[in-house]
Amino acid sequence: MIKLTIDNTPVEVEKGTTLLEAARQVHINIPTLCYEENLSIYGGCRLCVVEVNERRQLMPACATEAEDGMEVKTHSPRVREVRQTLFELIIASHDISCELNCLTCTRQASCELRNVAEDIGINRMRLNPIYRGLDKDLSSYSVVREPNKCITCDRCIRKCEEVQGIGIFANSDRGPETTVTTFQDKGMGNVECTNCGQCIISCPTGALHEVYHMDSVWDALYNEEKHVIVQTAPAVRVAIAEPFGAEPGTVATGQLVAALRRLGFDGIFDTNFTADLTIMEEGTEVVERVSNNEHLPVLTSCSPGWIKFIEHFYPEHLKNLSTAKSPQQMFGALAKTYYAETMGVDLEDLVVVSIMPCTAKKFESKRPEMADDVDYVLTTREAAMMIKAAGINICDLEPEEYDNLMGVSTGAADIFGTSGGVMEAALRSAYYLITGEELEEIDIKPVRGLEGLKKAEVPINEDLTLKVGVAHGLSNAKKMMEMIADGEEFHFVEFMACPGGCIGGGGQPISAELTSTETLQRRMDGIYSIDSSKKLRQSHENPMVQKLYEEYLGKPGSHKAHKLLHTEYTPRGLS
Amino acid sequence: MLELENEIFLEMVHNIQETYGYVPEREINQLAEKFDQPRAKIYGAIKFYSMFYTEPTGKYVIRICDSLSCHLNDSHDLLLAVENFLGLKNGETSPDQLFTLEVVECLGHCGEGPVMMVNDKMYTELSKGRALEILKECQ
Repeated sequence: MIKLTIDNTPVEVEKGTTLLEAARQVHINIPTLCYEENLSIYGGCRLCVVEVNERRQLMPACATEAEDGMEVKTHSPRVREVRQTLFELIIASHDISCELNCLTCTRQASCELRNVAEDIGINRMRLNPIYRGLDKDLSSYSVVREPNKCITCDRCIRKCEEVQGIGIFANSDRGPETTVTTFQDKGMGNVECTNCGQCIISCPTGALHEVYHMDSVWDALYNEEKHVIVQTAPAVRVAIAEPFGAEPGTVATGQLVAALRRLGFDGIFDTNFTADLTIMEEGTEVVERVSNNEHLPVLTSCSPGWIKFIEHFYPEHLKNLSTAKSPQQMFGALAKTYYAETMGVDLEDLVVVSIMPCTAKKFESKRPEMADDVDYVLTTREAAMMIKAAGINICDLEPEEYDNLMGVSTGAADIFGTSGGVMEAALRSAYYLITGEELEEIDIKPVRGLEGLKKAEVPINEDLTLKVGVAHGLSNAKKMMEMIADGEEFHFVEFMACPGGCIGGGGQPISAELTSTETLQRRMDGIYSIDSSKKLRQSHENPMVQKLYEEYLGKPGSHKAHKLLHTEYTPRGLS
Repeated sequence: MLELENEIFLEMVHNIQETYGYVPEREINQLAEKFDQPRAKIYGAIKFYSMFYTEPTGKYVIRICDSLSCHLNDSHDLLLAVENFLGLKNGETSPDQLFTLEVVECLGHCGEGPVMMVNDKMYTELSKGRALEILKECQ
């Protein structure tokens, strides 16, 4: 063990611990900007500089390893003076002029720069901000870049390359001209971006945000002639209360329904309903393909970030994807047929909105093969902004129930929101579909948790043991695809583009207080608590899904089900 | 896997630029594959160096130094004259693909400013008139 003192407090740490980590161990907060848990060390912002052994040169705490006998001062007069000046220089490159006013910033309520200013104790701003006059990148259906706000902390670059295994961003030029850009400056919509939005979560300045659909949804709600219905994704319910001050993982399903009803939606439904339906369709497909030994392993198709990833990087494996649409698109397809017909709503007047933890869902809804089944997609953040703007605090509301027709779901649908959940839900029903019997133990623990790659073997009958895999975060998806290419045998593999699955989606609230792992763990616990508290926990038990098949679709995999609920994919490569 | 820091990378980019006059997109894609790096990263590495181009350049690349020493010898005046003559601003290429104009840092002839380069050829102690004559000869 290494012994040192930080601000006169003795600390013992393992070899290889950085001064930043050592300081956090004794609850000394050193401000950072370019540092982010789970990313490589960049050491670019220099805000974490500390004094070591009264040496003249200050050392960046994030990039300096603790050594025996070090005497570290994290807030000496010299350190504080330098830190303030550095922050002034950084802010001068972050345009906070009238045009990009803080008040309209995507991070108006969660500004990391403001937190850092507070941590440093900023009391002066001597430099005028530089306006670089760079154009916004509006090329993507999912994500907007506002480069004038960028302070080149490189977090988006590292997040995309290291966590997602892609690397669509790079620095071009140098010195004060340094600009974060995409390949050939083509814009995010024209390169191999998967629209996952993880860069938004990493950006401390609001230079990246989702393409807003809020105004269009307000217009639809205000228009008396429109019949506006909404679906809410599984992972939204454990995060929507966060912008209102609640802990991550707080379950606010009923409160969300109540808030949406107050906003004026004409029908409030649950993407969970179509998640159960997805299991029926995808489960049936898996059972069929496994028994015919056809294009194995079957790869899940719920995560639109993953879908775009495989279209770009493994187009030769598109035939392995399940043809089932994602729950969002199944909902859209049914809303514009089953719902419209059942309720007698004119398609001209029907507006379908979804609330998703996801930015890639915006792109998915614009795919030509999806028609216009889903009109607008709001992220969890946008939904929270709208609810706030309607004068509602979600935490104060009494819980209400979803509307019946497409609002009933089982616990299997709730766990779609977390890594391993689609797999677990599918296994619960696949067992039933093959054997006609119910699984004895429906908690399938090996596929749960935040481990990047998970594997399990589930015995079905004497002849068949299903081998399944789970990967979340696209760098893990890459590893999984390499394992498959190297001959590792699977029947069925779940992929989710975002770390932790949808609970860690690019559209989820951004927490300034907790680390991303803490946030994910709490949301995950919330999801599993909903599942275990439900009476019905297997998709095939959903009475409204059964009714849908009886009255409308026939049986899983029927011609009509195929027409409405299945899709095809586009080989993209790297053009 | 090759490292971008490896000097072989720069040598390859130099060769590509010598062949095409710039570094075309398909070559960046190939470098990305060779070095097993995201293509944006290769693009960024190339863009770090001001002497590499990722867009086609004119047949004649005109570089005018505006570092301190040349600046004191009125390089700005020279630049204005060349800008007016070519109808181009810094970094632009003429529609007929004949000229590209670049304002650059020190070209290593500080005692002989102002200086201008046309492709690989250096011209020193330039007057505005002489500079325009050189450009006319290119046309």
